[in-house]
Amino acid sequence: METSGQLLLTVLMGAFLLGVAAFLARVEDWRSYTPLGAGGGAVGESGYGHAEKPAGLIRWLTTVDHKDIGLLYGAYATIAFVVGGLMVMLMRAELTTPATDVLGSATFYNSLLTSHGITMLFLFGTPIIAAFSNYLIPLVIGADDMAFPRINAIAFWLLPPGALLIWAGFFPIPGVIPAQTAWTMYTPLSAGVGAGNQANVGVDLMLLGLHLTGVSATMGAINFIATIFTERAEEVTWANLDIFSWTILTQSGLILFAFPLLGSALVMLLLDRNFGTTFFAVEGGGPILWQHLFWFFGHPEVYILVLPPMGIVSYVLPRFSGRKLFGFKFVVYSTLAIGVLSFGVWAHHMFATGIDPRLRASFMAVSLAIAIPSAVKTFNWITTMWNGKLRLTTPMLFCIGFVSNFIIGGVTGVFLASIPVDLVLHDTYYVVGHFHYIVMGAITFAGMAGIYYWFPLVTGRWYQRRLAKAHFWLWMIGTNVTFFAMVLLGYGGMPRRYATYLPKFATLHQIASLGALLLLVGGIIWVYNIVTSWMEGKRVESGDPWRLDETNLNTAEWDWFEAKRETSLAATDGGEEVKTDGGQESRADDE
Amino acid sequence: MDENPGVSEGYRVASPWPLFVALGIPIAEIGILFGLVPLAVGGLLLFCGSIAGILHENEYVASAWRGLAVLSVFVIVAGGGLWYADAATESDLLVRAYSMIGTGVLLLLAGVGGELFARDTEPTV
Repeated sequence: METSGQLLLTVLMGAFLLGVAAFLARVEDWRSYTPLGAGGGAVGESGYGHAEKPAGLIRWLTTVDHKDIGLLYGAYATIAFVVGGLMVMLMRAELTTPATDVLGSATFYNSLLTSHGITMLFLFGTPIIAAFSNYLIPLVIGADDMAFPRINAIAFWLLPPGALLIWAGFFPIPGVIPAQTAWTMYTPLSAGVGAGNQANVGVDLMLLGLHLTGVSATMGAINFIATIFTERAEEVTWANLDIFSWTILTQSGLILFAFPLLGSALVMLLLDRNFGTTFFAVEGGGPILWQHLFWFFGHPEVYILVLPPMGIVSYVLPRFSGRKLFGFKFVVYSTLAIGVLSFGVWAHHMFATGIDPRLRASFMAVSLAIAIPSAVKTFNWITTMWNGKLRLTTPMLFCIGFVSNFIIGGVTGVFLASIPVDLVLHDTYYVVGHFHYIVMGAITFAGMAGIYYWFPLVTGRWYQRRLAKAHFWLWMIGTNVTFFAMVLLGYGGMPRRYATYLPKFATLHQIASLGALLLLVGGIIWVYNIVTSWMEGKRVESGDPWRLDETNLNTAEWDWFEAKRETSLAATDGGEEVKTDGGQESRADDE
Repeated sequence: MDENPGVSEGYRVASPWPLFVALGIPIAEIGILFGLVPLAVGGLLLFCGSIAGILHENEYVASAWRGLAVLSVFVIVAGGGLWYADAATESDLLVRAYSMIGTGVLLLLAGVGGELFARDTEPTV
């Protein structure tokens, strides 16, 4: 960079640091009434809880409260979901015609494809799970907060810079183009060698952003492990720890072993790209080394993303079945089994790379074995509902949708685990259909079940029921139309990741795009419902809005909600809730 | 969200430092990776300063200045590592090494100077 550029950068950086210093001085000043040192404690732990948080934007920038951070994660994940969703809508629009008539270039399609995958997995999937776990885990295990509240805040704040770096190629920065490596970033393409354009700095920025999200996830995982091990209330033992905490604990263990490896592999790739190392070069470690390292992280990542949603379903589904979770112990055991097995299956992504057939066979066996704990869970969910007193509320519908989609996604996966089938279907739309049944049909559905189920807990208001049901049905139909069409496309031999295709695939692609349109409409309804209901939805009139006491299925977080409501009703100087709560008629039959 | 006491609202639930710890990391990473001196220096200053601040806030260190001085040693050692690697490899790492060592020296000066001359309003333990 020339001197004037460096000078400008220096001035900007200096101004930024001065701004930070000024901000810190101001915030420290605001804080000065709560002395830090034990010796200076004239005020100490004041009883005035409400005075402990600053107001407005500063509160959100400085919060270390697990509930606030959970909300920040939720807002962040929602924004990422919208961005990733709009990206894929552009791709589905392109795929309505065999040629690149809509976007005009396959390059842009490839960029969208890469960003859609990374956005949905790292910027939506992991954060939306962190939103639930941050908000709920301390409440359900009776902890005051997370074990390390500040680490918790650092972990969140690493994510926005991570997203900006991952999307940097799309911003109008001269000389920077988006990465087109797909989310798996296979070398040698991602190493930037050859005649392509992937030596561009946009790829480096994406790798850095991904690295940040990995650091963030690792910090979060350490925090959850420490919290669940050390911060449980006395009455919460390992024997009666709830299923959601179990899945988060297992997930955190997986993150702890998987994400540092991704971080290291990314650093190695960055070194290869920028400093002439040969980790993944043919004359060095070889391109296949990347695939081993990436999938050693990448396959556990699948379970990192799916175990907590399974926990949400195992937690929510019994509440509306009028029964306790069938075979609780075995659901926990199957979670742990999946966690352990997930590290022994990575090479099933590499059956077509020409690795040793004896290795392939062992990876096939372990991959098929994962079907067993997965089926244990599925049968337990079904048996929980069997002869139960079902209440088809929106969260329950999403739970049932989860189970149904998970069965299709899971069974299509069992076939892929078989080497001969995989060699035929490898890199076709069958694979895309299979994993979207899991990530959209299962994981996102469970996320929506959680959002609707805990919406009253978080906001003290009801969502709009009809809109929520419309959202569910649009998504249930849309998911199956879109992704079953993809399964069929795969059977027909349509390869994945292409912007163009043979005319014979046009009909199924158009059907898939139609399904995606249903998903878009459902998504718009969801955002509208959540935003408007949060602002002006009907207020919850009881501490047990889901009437769980009737079936003796109440859980700790609703006790907290009840206690919070009572405190806020009793407070004389209280917040807004007091005024409105006193003056409104209630109808408890809403759901 | 309301501000009423619930399960987790009995104590301080705000800290200004995490945001800046998190901002310091990517700025320093970009600066060091691409050899952009202002970003490398600024990012490291922000990161180390915030780490010192958060350690002090948690009472893991008695004085933020001393924390800063200790951190400076790590930065200088890492910069020294890059300086050594520059001679041992074909890659051009000198500008990165100098920006890290320079930042380390700045941090050390700030740490020592602050410890000697700054008058904290807060009592140190």
